[in-house]
Amino acid sequence: MSAGRSTRLIWFVTWFNVRMLLASEFFILLTFISPLIFATLGFFLFRSGGGTAGQTLLYVALGAGMMGVWSTTLFGCGGAIAWQRWEGTLELLVNAPSRYDFILVGQTFGAVVFGFYGIVATLAWGVLLFGMPIQATYPLLLPLSLLAAVVSLGSLGMLIATTFVLYRHANALGNLLEYPIWLITGLLVPVATLPIWIQPVSWLLAPTWGMEAIRGAAIGADPPILAIVMCFALAVAYYVAARIALVYVLAKARRDATLSLQ
Amino acid sequence: MTALTAPFSHVSPGSLRSAWRVFWYGGRMSYGMLFNWARPSIYIPTLIGGPTFQLFFFAALGSYATNRSSAYFAIGNAVQVSAIAGVFGMTMAIANERWFGTLPAILATPANRAALFAGRFMPFVLNGLLVSLYAFALGVVFLGVRLAPGSLAVAGLALLVTVFSCTAIGALQGAISLRLRDGLFGANLVTMSILLFCGVNIPMAELPGWMQVVGNLLPFTHGLEAVRQAADGAGLGQVGGLIGIEALVGIAYALLAFALFVYLERSARRNATLDVR
Repeated sequence: MSAGRSTRLIWFVTWFNVRMLLASEFFILLTFISPLIFATLGFFLFRSGGGTAGQTLLYVALGAGMMGVWSTTLFGCGGAIAWQRWEGTLELLVNAPSRYDFILVGQTFGAVVFGFYGIVATLAWGVLLFGMPIQATYPLLLPLSLLAAVVSLGSLGMLIATTFVLYRHANALGNLLEYPIWLITGLLVPVATLPIWIQPVSWLLAPTWGMEAIRGAAIGADPPILAIVMCFALAVAYYVAARIALVYVLAKARRDATLSLQ
Repeated sequence: MTALTAPFSHVSPGSLRSAWRVFWYGGRMSYGMLFNWARPSIYIPTLIGGPTFQLFFFAALGSYATNRSSAYFAIGNAVQVSAIAGVFGMTMAIANERWFGTLPAILATPANRAALFAGRFMPFVLNGLLVSLYAFALGVVFLGVRLAPGSLAVAGLALLVTVFSCTAIGALQGAISLRLRDGLFGANLVTMSILLFCGVNIPMAELPGWMQVVGNLLPFTHGLEAVRQAADGAGLGQVGGLIGIEALVGIAYALLAFALFVYLERSARRNATLDVR
Protein backbone atom coordinates (compact mmCIF):
# COMPACT_ATOMS: atom_id res chain seq x y z
CA MET A 1 0.00 0.00 0.00
CA SER A 2 1.50 3.35 -1.06
CA ALA A 3 2.10 6.12 1.48
CA GLY A 4 -0.47 8.31 -0.26
CA ARG A 5 -3.19 5.66 -0.08
CA SER A 6 -2.34 4.90 3.57
CA THR A 7 -2.55 8.59 4.49
CA ARG A 8 -5.85 8.89 2.64
CA LEU A 9 -7.22 5.83 4.45
CA ILE A 10 -6.19 7.15 7.89
CA TRP A 11 -7.59 10.60 7.10
CA PHE A 12 -10.89 9.16 5.86
CA VAL A 13 -11.36 6.88 8.89
CA THR A 14 -10.41 9.71 11.28
CA TRP A 15 -12.98 12.05 9.77
CA PHE A 16 -15.59 9.28 9.58
CA ASN A 17 -15.09 8.50 13.27
CA VAL A 18 -15.35 12.17 14.26
CA ARG A 19 -18.70 12.33 12.47
CA MET A 20 -19.88 9.14 14.15
CA LEU A 21 -18.93 10.45 17.60
CA LEU A 22 -20.78 13.69 16.87
CA ALA A 23 -23.96 11.64 16.63
CA SER A 24 -23.43 10.05 20.06
CA GLU A 25 -25.03 11.79 23.04
CA PHE A 26 -22.58 10.05 25.35
CA PHE A 27 -19.53 11.46 23.55
CA ILE A 28 -21.08 14.91 23.28
CA LEU A 29 -21.43 14.81 27.07
CA LEU A 30 -17.91 13.49 27.52
CA THR A 31 -16.25 16.00 25.20
CA PHE A 32 -18.29 19.18 25.52
CA ILE A 33 -20.34 19.15 28.72
CA SER A 34 -18.24 17.24 31.23
CA PRO A 35 -15.08 19.40 30.73
CA LEU A 36 -17.21 22.52 31.27
CA ILE A 37 -18.55 21.13 34.54
CA PHE A 38 -15.07 20.18 35.72
CA ALA A 39 -13.67 23.54 34.53
CA THR A 40 -16.35 25.38 36.52
CA LEU A 41 -15.61 23.21 39.55
CA GLY A 42 -11.90 23.92 39.12
CA PHE A 43 -12.46 27.68 38.73
CA PHE A 44 -14.50 27.82 41.94
CA LEU A 45 -12.04 25.64 43.87
CA PHE A 46 -9.02 27.70 42.84
CA ARG A 47 -10.93 30.92 43.47
CA SER A 48 -11.80 29.63 46.92
CA GLY A 49 -8.07 29.21 47.54
CA GLY A 50 -7.32 32.73 46.31
CA GLY A 51 -6.18 31.79 42.80
CA THR A 52 -7.92 34.35 40.63
CA ALA A 53 -5.03 35.33 38.36
CA GLY A 54 -5.50 34.94 34.62
CA GLN A 55 -2.79 32.30 34.48
CA THR A 56 -4.56 30.21 37.14
CA LEU A 57 -7.78 30.30 35.14
CA LEU A 58 -5.94 29.30 31.97
CA TYR A 59 -4.21 26.52 33.91
CA VAL A 60 -7.62 25.19 35.01
CA ALA A 61 -9.25 25.58 31.58
CA LEU A 62 -6.46 23.69 29.82
CA GLY A 63 -6.42 21.00 32.52
CA ALA A 64 -10.20 20.49 32.44
CA GLY A 65 -10.12 20.41 28.62
CA MET A 66 -7.41 17.76 28.70
CA MET A 67 -9.55 15.77 31.18
CA GLY A 68 -12.20 15.66 28.46
CA VAL A 69 -9.59 14.58 25.90
CA TRP A 70 -8.53 11.72 28.15
CA SER A 71 -12.13 10.60 28.75
CA THR A 72 -12.87 10.63 25.03
CA THR A 73 -9.65 8.73 24.30
CA LEU A 74 -10.39 6.20 27.03
CA PHE A 75 -13.98 5.46 26.06
CA GLY A 76 -13.63 6.11 22.33
CA CYS A 77 -10.58 3.88 21.92
CA GLY A 78 -11.26 1.37 24.70
CA GLY A 79 -14.35 0.13 22.92
CA ALA A 80 -13.11 0.62 19.35
CA ILE A 81 -12.54 -3.03 18.42
CA ALA A 82 -15.46 -4.23 20.54
CA TRP A 83 -17.82 -1.87 18.66
CA GLN A 84 -16.64 -3.22 15.32
CA ARG A 85 -17.44 -6.67 16.67
CA TRP A 86 -20.94 -5.62 17.76
CA GLU A 87 -21.60 -3.88 14.46
CA GLY A 88 -20.39 -6.96 12.57
CA THR A 89 -17.72 -5.05 10.64
CA LEU A 90 -14.62 -6.45 12.36
CA GLU A 91 -14.36 -9.54 10.16
CA LEU A 92 -14.69 -7.45 7.00
CA LEU A 93 -12.14 -4.87 8.11
CA VAL A 94 -9.58 -7.45 9.25
CA ASN A 95 -9.86 -9.36 6.00
CA ALA A 96 -9.88 -6.30 3.72
CA PRO A 97 -6.76 -5.63 1.59
CA SER A 98 -6.16 -2.38 3.57
CA ARG A 99 -3.99 -2.74 6.65
CA TYR A 100 -6.18 -3.08 9.73
CA ASP A 101 -3.76 -1.19 11.98
CA PHE A 102 -4.16 1.89 9.73
CA ILE A 103 -7.92 1.67 10.14
CA LEU A 104 -7.43 1.47 13.89
CA VAL A 105 -5.03 4.44 13.79
CA GLY A 106 -7.73 6.46 12.03
CA GLN A 107 -10.36 5.36 14.49
CA THR A 108 -8.29 6.22 17.57
CA PHE A 109 -7.12 9.53 16.11
CA GLY A 110 -10.73 10.36 15.36
CA ALA A 111 -11.58 9.93 19.04
CA VAL A 112 -8.59 12.03 20.16
CA VAL A 113 -9.21 14.82 17.64
CA PHE A 114 -12.85 14.87 18.71
CA GLY A 115 -11.72 15.07 22.34
CA PHE A 116 -9.61 18.14 21.57
CA TYR A 117 -12.77 20.11 20.78
CA GLY A 118 -13.24 19.97 24.57
CA ILE A 119 -10.21 22.19 25.11
CA VAL A 120 -11.70 24.78 22.74
CA ALA A 121 -14.98 24.55 24.66
CA THR A 122 -13.34 25.09 28.08
CA LEU A 123 -11.26 28.00 26.78
CA ALA A 124 -14.38 29.67 25.38
CA TRP A 125 -16.20 28.95 28.67
CA GLY A 126 -13.40 30.51 30.71
CA VAL A 127 -13.30 33.64 28.54
CA LEU A 128 -17.08 34.13 28.51
CA LEU A 129 -17.92 33.36 32.14
CA PHE A 130 -14.78 34.04 34.11
CA GLY A 131 -13.07 36.72 32.03
CA MET A 132 -10.07 34.49 31.44
CA PRO A 133 -7.39 36.04 29.22
CA ILE A 134 -6.23 34.03 26.22
CA GLN A 135 -2.48 34.18 25.98
CA ALA A 136 0.48 32.13 24.86
CA THR A 137 4.04 32.64 26.00
CA TYR A 138 5.32 30.70 22.98
CA PRO A 139 2.62 31.08 20.31
CA LEU A 140 4.76 29.52 17.60
CA LEU A 141 5.29 26.37 19.67
CA LEU A 142 1.60 26.00 20.51
CA PRO A 143 0.56 24.27 17.23
CA LEU A 144 3.51 21.88 17.55
CA SER A 145 2.57 21.18 21.18
CA LEU A 146 -1.02 20.42 20.16
CA LEU A 147 0.17 18.13 17.36
CA ALA A 148 2.54 16.32 19.74
CA ALA A 149 -0.30 15.84 22.25
CA VAL A 150 -2.70 14.54 19.57
CA VAL A 151 -0.11 12.11 18.16
CA SER A 152 0.91 10.74 21.57
CA LEU A 153 -2.67 10.39 22.81
CA GLY A 154 -3.69 8.81 19.51
CA SER A 155 -0.97 6.19 19.84
CA LEU A 156 -1.91 5.59 23.46
CA GLY A 157 -5.49 5.23 22.27
CA MET A 158 -4.40 2.54 19.85
CA LEU A 159 -2.66 0.68 22.67
CA ILE A 160 -5.81 1.00 24.76
CA ALA A 161 -7.95 -0.30 21.88
CA THR A 162 -5.78 -3.36 21.33
CA THR A 163 -5.45 -4.29 25.01
CA PHE A 164 -8.90 -3.43 26.37
CA VAL A 165 -10.47 -5.82 23.87
CA LEU A 166 -9.04 -8.69 25.92
CA TYR A 167 -11.36 -7.62 28.76
CA ARG A 168 -14.98 -8.38 28.07
CA HIS A 169 -16.32 -5.16 29.63
CA ALA A 170 -14.04 -2.47 28.21
CA ASN A 171 -16.33 0.35 29.36
CA ALA A 172 -15.96 -0.79 32.96
CA LEU A 173 -12.20 -0.34 32.58
CA GLY A 174 -12.98 3.14 31.27
CA ASN A 175 -14.99 3.89 34.42
CA LEU A 176 -12.05 2.70 36.48
CA LEU A 177 -9.27 4.59 34.70
CA GLU A 178 -10.79 8.05 34.28
CA TYR A 179 -9.99 9.58 37.69
CA PRO A 180 -6.58 8.00 38.37
CA ILE A 181 -5.13 9.24 35.09
CA TRP A 182 -6.61 12.70 35.67
CA LEU A 183 -4.82 12.66 38.99
CA ILE A 184 -1.40 11.23 38.22
CA THR A 185 -0.83 13.04 34.93
CA GLY A 186 -1.03 16.43 36.59
CA LEU A 187 -4.00 17.80 34.66
CA LEU A 188 -5.22 19.89 37.60
CA VAL A 189 -2.87 18.89 40.42
CA PRO A 190 0.85 19.24 39.63
CA VAL A 191 2.73 15.94 39.40
CA ALA A 192 5.35 17.35 41.77
CA THR A 193 2.79 17.43 44.63
CA LEU A 194 2.05 13.71 44.29
CA PRO A 195 3.90 11.04 46.29
CA ILE A 196 7.34 10.39 44.85
CA TRP A 197 6.60 6.75 43.98
CA ILE A 198 3.75 7.75 41.63
CA GLN A 199 5.79 10.21 39.59
CA PRO A 200 7.67 7.62 37.42
CA VAL A 201 4.26 6.18 36.43
CA SER A 202 3.08 9.59 35.28
CA TRP A 203 6.21 10.02 33.12
CA LEU A 204 5.14 6.98 31.10
CA LEU A 205 1.73 8.46 30.28
CA ALA A 206 1.05 10.60 27.23
CA PRO A 207 -1.39 13.03 28.92
CA THR A 208 1.38 14.10 31.33
CA TRP A 209 3.66 15.28 28.51
CA GLY A 210 0.81 16.44 26.27
CA MET A 211 -0.46 18.68 29.06
CA GLU A 212 3.08 19.84 29.86
CA ALA A 213 3.66 20.71 26.19
CA ILE A 214 0.41 22.67 25.81
CA ARG A 215 0.70 24.43 29.18
CA GLY A 216 4.37 25.15 28.57
CA ALA A 217 3.59 26.87 25.28
CA ALA A 218 0.66 28.78 26.79
CA ILE A 219 1.84 29.83 30.26
CA GLY A 220 5.27 28.24 30.77
CA ALA A 221 8.46 30.10 31.63
CA ASP A 222 10.61 27.94 29.35
CA PRO A 223 9.82 26.47 25.90
CA PRO A 224 8.38 22.94 26.36
CA ILE A 225 10.92 21.19 24.12
CA LEU A 226 11.40 18.18 26.41
CA ALA A 227 7.64 17.64 26.68
CA ILE A 228 7.22 17.77 22.88
CA VAL A 229 10.08 15.31 22.34
CA MET A 230 8.67 12.99 25.01
CA CYS A 231 5.25 13.07 23.31
CA PHE A 232 6.71 11.88 20.01
CA ALA A 233 8.99 9.32 21.70
CA LEU A 234 6.09 7.87 23.70
CA ALA A 235 3.95 7.84 20.54
CA VAL A 236 6.49 5.59 18.82
CA ALA A 237 6.73 3.31 21.87
CA TYR A 238 2.94 3.06 22.20
CA TYR A 239 2.55 2.32 18.48
CA VAL A 240 5.09 -0.50 18.57
CA ALA A 241 3.44 -1.98 21.69
CA ALA A 242 -0.01 -1.60 20.09
CA ARG A 243 1.16 -3.36 16.90
CA ILE A 244 2.49 -6.29 18.93
CA ALA A 245 -0.75 -6.44 20.94
CA LEU A 246 -2.84 -6.21 17.76
CA VAL A 247 -0.99 -9.07 16.07
CA TYR A 248 -1.50 -11.17 19.20
CA VAL A 249 -5.18 -10.25 19.59
CA LEU A 250 -6.04 -10.92 15.94
CA ALA A 251 -4.09 -14.20 15.88
CA LYS A 252 -5.90 -15.29 19.03
CA ALA A 253 -9.28 -14.31 17.62
CA ARG A 254 -8.61 -16.22 14.38
CA ARG A 255 -7.30 -19.25 16.28
CA ASP A 256 -10.26 -19.33 18.67
CA ALA A 257 -12.72 -18.39 15.89
CA THR A 258 -14.01 -15.49 17.98
CA LEU A 259 -13.50 -12.66 15.48
CA SER A 260 -17.21 -12.13 15.08
CA LEU A 261 -18.32 -13.31 18.52
CA GLN A 262 -19.74 -10.75 20.94
CA MET B 1 -25.81 -18.41 36.08
CA THR B 2 -28.21 -17.85 38.94
CA ALA B 3 -31.80 -16.81 38.70
CA LEU B 4 -34.13 -15.47 41.31
CA THR B 5 -37.74 -16.54 41.08
CA ALA B 6 -40.75 -15.70 43.17
CA PRO B 7 -42.43 -18.68 44.85
CA PHE B 8 -45.57 -19.73 42.99
CA SER B 9 -48.84 -18.96 44.78
CA HIS B 10 -52.45 -18.12 44.06
CA VAL B 11 -52.94 -14.56 45.21
CA SER B 12 -55.49 -12.11 43.92
CA PRO B 13 -53.64 -9.44 41.86
CA GLY B 14 -55.46 -6.66 43.68
CA SER B 15 -54.63 -7.84 47.19
CA LEU B 16 -52.13 -6.29 49.55
CA ARG B 17 -50.23 -9.57 49.67
CA SER B 18 -49.82 -9.50 45.92
CA ALA B 19 -48.57 -5.91 46.07
CA TRP B 20 -46.05 -6.96 48.72
CA ARG B 21 -44.82 -9.82 46.52
CA VAL B 22 -44.42 -7.47 43.56
CA PHE B 23 -42.55 -5.02 45.81
CA TRP B 24 -40.26 -7.59 47.44
CA TYR B 25 -39.54 -10.13 44.70
CA GLY B 26 -39.89 -7.69 41.82
CA GLY B 27 -37.42 -5.30 43.45
CA ARG B 28 -34.84 -8.03 44.00
CA MET B 29 -35.28 -9.39 40.50
CA SER B 30 -34.92 -5.93 38.97
CA TYR B 31 -31.48 -5.62 40.54
CA GLY B 32 -30.20 -8.94 39.25
CA MET B 33 -31.73 -8.75 35.82
CA LEU B 34 -31.90 -5.10 34.79
CA PHE B 35 -28.84 -3.61 36.47
CA ASN B 36 -26.11 -4.12 33.88
CA TRP B 37 -23.35 -3.66 36.43
CA ALA B 38 -24.48 -6.41 38.82
CA ARG B 39 -21.57 -8.71 37.97
CA PRO B 40 -18.08 -8.59 39.47
CA SER B 41 -16.30 -7.81 36.18
CA ILE B 42 -18.23 -4.52 35.94
CA TYR B 43 -19.20 -3.91 39.56
CA ILE B 44 -15.64 -3.91 40.91
CA PRO B 45 -14.10 -1.47 38.38
CA THR B 46 -17.16 0.80 38.34
CA LEU B 47 -18.52 0.83 41.88
CA ILE B 48 -15.41 0.06 43.89
CA GLY B 49 -12.47 1.21 41.74
CA GLY B 50 -14.11 4.34 40.30
CA PRO B 51 -15.24 5.75 43.68
CA THR B 52 -11.85 4.97 45.21
CA PHE B 53 -10.02 7.10 42.67
CA GLN B 54 -12.71 9.80 42.70
CA LEU B 55 -12.14 10.21 46.42
CA PHE B 56 -8.37 10.54 46.02
CA PHE B 57 -8.69 12.84 43.02
CA PHE B 58 -10.91 15.39 44.72
CA ALA B 59 -9.04 15.14 48.02
CA ALA B 60 -5.80 15.95 46.18
CA LEU B 61 -7.33 18.66 43.97
CA GLY B 62 -9.34 20.28 46.75
CA SER B 63 -6.55 20.40 49.30
CA TYR B 64 -4.10 21.68 46.64
CA ALA B 65 -6.43 24.39 45.30
CA THR B 66 -7.98 25.58 48.55
CA ASN B 67 -5.66 24.51 51.39
CA ARG B 68 -8.73 23.01 53.04
CA SER B 69 -8.38 19.63 54.77
CA SER B 70 -8.63 16.62 52.46
CA ALA B 71 -11.16 15.15 54.92
CA TYR B 72 -13.67 17.82 53.80
CA PHE B 73 -13.51 16.58 50.21
CA ALA B 74 -13.39 12.96 51.29
CA ILE B 75 -16.69 13.28 53.18
CA GLY B 76 -18.39 15.11 50.30
CA ASN B 77 -17.32 12.55 47.73
CA ALA B 78 -17.92 9.56 50.00
CA VAL B 79 -21.58 10.61 50.09
CA GLN B 80 -21.67 11.56 46.40
CA VAL B 81 -20.39 8.20 45.13
CA SER B 82 -23.64 6.63 46.24
CA ALA B 83 -25.13 8.48 43.25
CA ILE B 84 -23.22 6.19 40.89
CA ALA B 85 -25.16 3.25 42.31
CA GLY B 86 -28.41 5.12 42.95
CA VAL B 87 -28.81 7.24 39.83
CA PHE B 88 -27.35 4.83 37.26
CA GLY B 89 -28.87 1.79 38.96
CA MET B 90 -32.40 3.17 39.09
CA THR B 91 -32.12 4.52 35.56
CA MET B 92 -31.21 1.05 34.33
CA ALA B 93 -33.81 -0.68 36.51
CA ILE B 94 -36.59 1.30 34.82
CA ALA B 95 -35.29 2.14 31.36
CA ASN B 96 -33.89 -1.33 30.68
CA GLU B 97 -37.41 -2.76 30.83
CA ARG B 98 -37.85 -1.08 27.49
CA TRP B 99 -34.45 -1.93 26.04
CA PHE B 100 -34.62 -5.57 27.09
CA GLY B 101 -38.12 -5.84 25.61
CA THR B 102 -39.87 -6.71 28.90
CA LEU B 103 -41.82 -3.47 29.27
CA PRO B 104 -44.93 -4.58 27.33
CA ALA B 105 -45.13 -7.79 29.39
CA ILE B 106 -44.81 -5.83 32.66
CA LEU B 107 -47.44 -3.32 31.63
CA ALA B 108 -49.81 -6.04 30.47
CA THR B 109 -49.92 -7.48 34.01
CA PRO B 110 -52.42 -6.25 36.59
CA ALA B 111 -49.56 -5.75 39.08
CA ASN B 112 -49.86 -2.85 41.47
CA ARG B 113 -47.88 -0.05 39.79
CA ALA B 114 -46.87 1.67 43.02
CA ALA B 115 -45.50 -1.60 44.44
CA LEU B 116 -43.78 -2.36 41.15
CA PHE B 117 -42.13 1.03 41.16
CA ALA B 118 -41.30 1.24 44.88
CA GLY B 119 -39.79 -2.25 45.01
CA ARG B 120 -37.00 -1.13 42.71
CA PHE B 121 -35.74 1.41 45.22
CA MET B 122 -34.80 -1.11 47.87
CA PRO B 123 -31.78 -2.86 46.30
CA PHE B 124 -30.37 0.36 44.87
CA VAL B 125 -30.63 2.22 48.17
CA LEU B 126 -28.77 -0.66 49.84
CA ASN B 127 -26.20 -0.73 47.07
CA GLY B 128 -25.64 3.04 47.26
CA LEU B 129 -25.27 2.77 51.01
CA LEU B 130 -22.68 0.02 50.61
CA VAL B 131 -20.63 2.05 48.11
CA SER B 132 -20.81 5.11 50.34
CA LEU B 133 -19.78 3.20 53.47
CA TYR B 134 -16.84 1.73 51.59
CA ALA B 135 -15.78 5.24 50.51
CA PHE B 136 -16.13 6.49 54.11
CA ALA B 137 -13.88 3.64 55.27
CA LEU B 138 -11.28 4.74 52.70
CA GLY B 139 -11.61 8.30 53.92
CA VAL B 140 -11.10 7.24 57.54
CA VAL B 141 -8.04 5.11 56.73
CA PHE B 142 -6.28 7.33 54.20
CA LEU B 143 -7.68 10.86 54.21
CA GLY B 144 -8.11 11.81 57.82
CA VAL B 145 -11.90 11.59 58.02
CA ARG B 146 -13.02 11.46 61.64
CA LEU B 147 -16.61 10.79 62.71
CA ALA B 148 -17.78 11.83 66.16
CA PRO B 149 -18.61 8.49 67.89
CA GLY B 150 -21.67 9.96 69.63
CA SER B 151 -23.26 11.01 66.32
CA LEU B 152 -22.58 7.94 64.23
CA ALA B 153 -26.24 6.92 64.23
CA VAL B 154 -27.32 10.41 63.17
CA ALA B 155 -24.69 10.46 60.39
CA GLY B 156 -25.91 7.01 59.31
CA LEU B 157 -29.53 8.20 59.20
CA ALA B 158 -28.58 11.28 57.19
CA LEU B 159 -26.62 9.09 54.79
CA LEU B 160 -29.52 6.66 54.37
CA VAL B 161 -31.96 9.48 53.60
CA THR B 162 -29.50 11.06 51.18
CA VAL B 163 -28.98 7.79 49.33
CA PHE B 164 -32.76 7.37 49.12
CA SER B 165 -33.24 10.82 47.62
CA CYS B 166 -30.48 10.25 45.07
CA THR B 167 -32.13 6.96 44.12
CA ALA B 168 -35.38 8.90 43.72
CA ILE B 169 -33.84 11.29 41.19
CA GLY B 170 -32.46 8.17 39.49
CA ALA B 171 -36.03 6.87 39.28
CA LEU B 172 -37.11 10.13 37.66
CA GLN B 173 -34.25 9.82 35.21
CA GLY B 174 -35.30 6.22 34.54
CA ALA B 175 -38.86 7.29 33.80
CA ILE B 176 -37.61 10.05 31.47
CA SER B 177 -35.35 7.47 29.79
CA LEU B 178 -38.38 5.45 28.75
CA ARG B 179 -38.74 8.10 26.07
CA LEU B 180 -35.08 8.81 25.27
CA ARG B 181 -32.64 7.11 22.96
CA ASP B 182 -29.79 7.23 25.49
CA GLY B 183 -30.95 7.21 29.11
CA LEU B 184 -27.46 7.20 30.57
CA PHE B 185 -26.83 10.68 29.14
CA GLY B 186 -29.20 12.14 31.74
CA ALA B 187 -27.81 9.91 34.50
CA ASN B 188 -24.29 11.14 33.78
CA LEU B 189 -25.49 14.72 33.74
CA VAL B 190 -27.27 14.33 37.09
CA THR B 191 -24.25 12.81 38.85
CA MET B 192 -21.95 15.52 37.46
CA SER B 193 -24.41 18.25 38.45
CA ILE B 194 -24.44 16.88 42.00
CA LEU B 195 -20.64 17.24 42.08
CA LEU B 196 -20.92 20.89 41.10
CA PHE B 197 -24.13 22.21 42.69
CA CYS B 198 -24.61 20.32 45.97
CA GLY B 199 -21.69 21.35 48.15
CA VAL B 200 -19.76 18.14 47.53
CA ASN B 201 -16.51 19.98 46.83
CA ILE B 202 -17.39 23.67 47.00
CA PRO B 203 -19.23 25.01 50.07
CA MET B 204 -22.72 26.20 49.07
CA ALA B 205 -22.00 29.68 50.45
CA GLU B 206 -19.21 30.14 47.88
CA LEU B 207 -21.48 29.42 44.91
CA PRO B 208 -23.39 32.16 43.04
CA GLY B 209 -27.02 32.64 44.09
CA TRP B 210 -28.59 30.85 41.12
CA MET B 211 -26.34 27.83 41.67
CA GLN B 212 -27.43 27.70 45.31
CA VAL B 213 -31.06 27.67 44.17
CA VAL B 214 -30.35 24.75 41.81
CA GLY B 215 -28.42 22.98 44.58
CA ASN B 216 -31.30 23.34 47.01
CA LEU B 217 -33.65 21.74 44.51
CA LEU B 218 -31.38 18.76 43.95
CA PRO B 219 -30.98 15.79 46.28
CA PHE B 220 -27.80 15.57 48.36
CA THR B 221 -27.41 19.21 49.37
CA HIS B 222 -29.24 19.06 52.71
CA GLY B 223 -28.39 15.43 53.42
CA LEU B 224 -24.71 16.00 52.80
CA GLU B 225 -24.72 19.04 55.07
CA ALA B 226 -26.39 16.91 57.75
CA VAL B 227 -23.72 14.21 57.34
CA ARG B 228 -20.96 16.82 57.62
CA GLN B 229 -22.46 18.34 60.77
CA ALA B 230 -23.12 14.92 62.32
CA ALA B 231 -19.53 13.93 61.58
CA ASP B 232 -18.50 16.96 63.64
CA GLY B 233 -20.68 15.83 66.53
CA ALA B 234 -24.07 17.46 65.86
CA GLY B 235 -27.05 15.57 67.25
CA LEU B 236 -30.45 14.80 65.77
CA GLY B 237 -31.83 18.00 67.27
CA GLN B 238 -29.40 20.09 65.24
CA VAL B 239 -29.55 18.25 61.93
CA GLY B 240 -33.06 16.79 62.10
CA GLY B 241 -34.39 19.67 60.00
CA LEU B 242 -31.82 19.08 57.27
CA ILE B 243 -32.58 15.36 57.23
CA GLY B 244 -36.30 16.14 57.04
CA ILE B 245 -35.81 18.48 54.07
CA GLU B 246 -33.66 15.88 52.31
CA ALA B 247 -36.38 13.26 52.88
CA LEU B 248 -39.01 15.63 51.47
CA VAL B 249 -36.85 16.33 48.41
CA GLY B 250 -36.43 12.58 47.89
CA ILE B 251 -40.16 11.88 48.29
CA ALA B 252 -40.97 14.70 45.86
CA TYR B 253 -38.66 13.22 43.23
CA ALA B 254 -40.04 9.71 43.83
CA LEU B 255 -43.63 10.96 43.40
CA LEU B 256 -42.70 12.92 40.30
CA ALA B 257 -40.98 9.84 38.87
CA PHE B 258 -44.02 7.66 39.58
CA ALA B 259 -46.40 10.19 38.06
CA LEU B 260 -44.23 10.39 34.94
CA PHE B 261 -44.02 6.60 34.74
CA VAL B 262 -47.81 6.30 34.89
CA TYR B 263 -48.27 9.11 32.37
CA LEU B 264 -45.79 7.54 29.95
CA GLU B 265 -47.46 4.15 30.35
CA ARG B 266 -50.83 5.62 29.39
CA SER B 267 -49.34 7.64 26.59
CA ALA B 268 -47.47 4.61 25.22
CA ARG B 269 -50.67 2.52 25.29
CA ARG B 270 -52.63 5.27 23.57
CA ASN B 271 -50.03 5.84 20.84
CA ALA B 272 -48.98 2.19 20.49
CA THR B 273 -45.34 3.09 21.17
CA LEU B 274 -44.56 0.57 23.93
CA ASP B 275 -42.04 -1.24 21.78
CA VAL B 276 -40.72 1.69 19.80
CA ARG B 277 -36.98 2.26 20.39
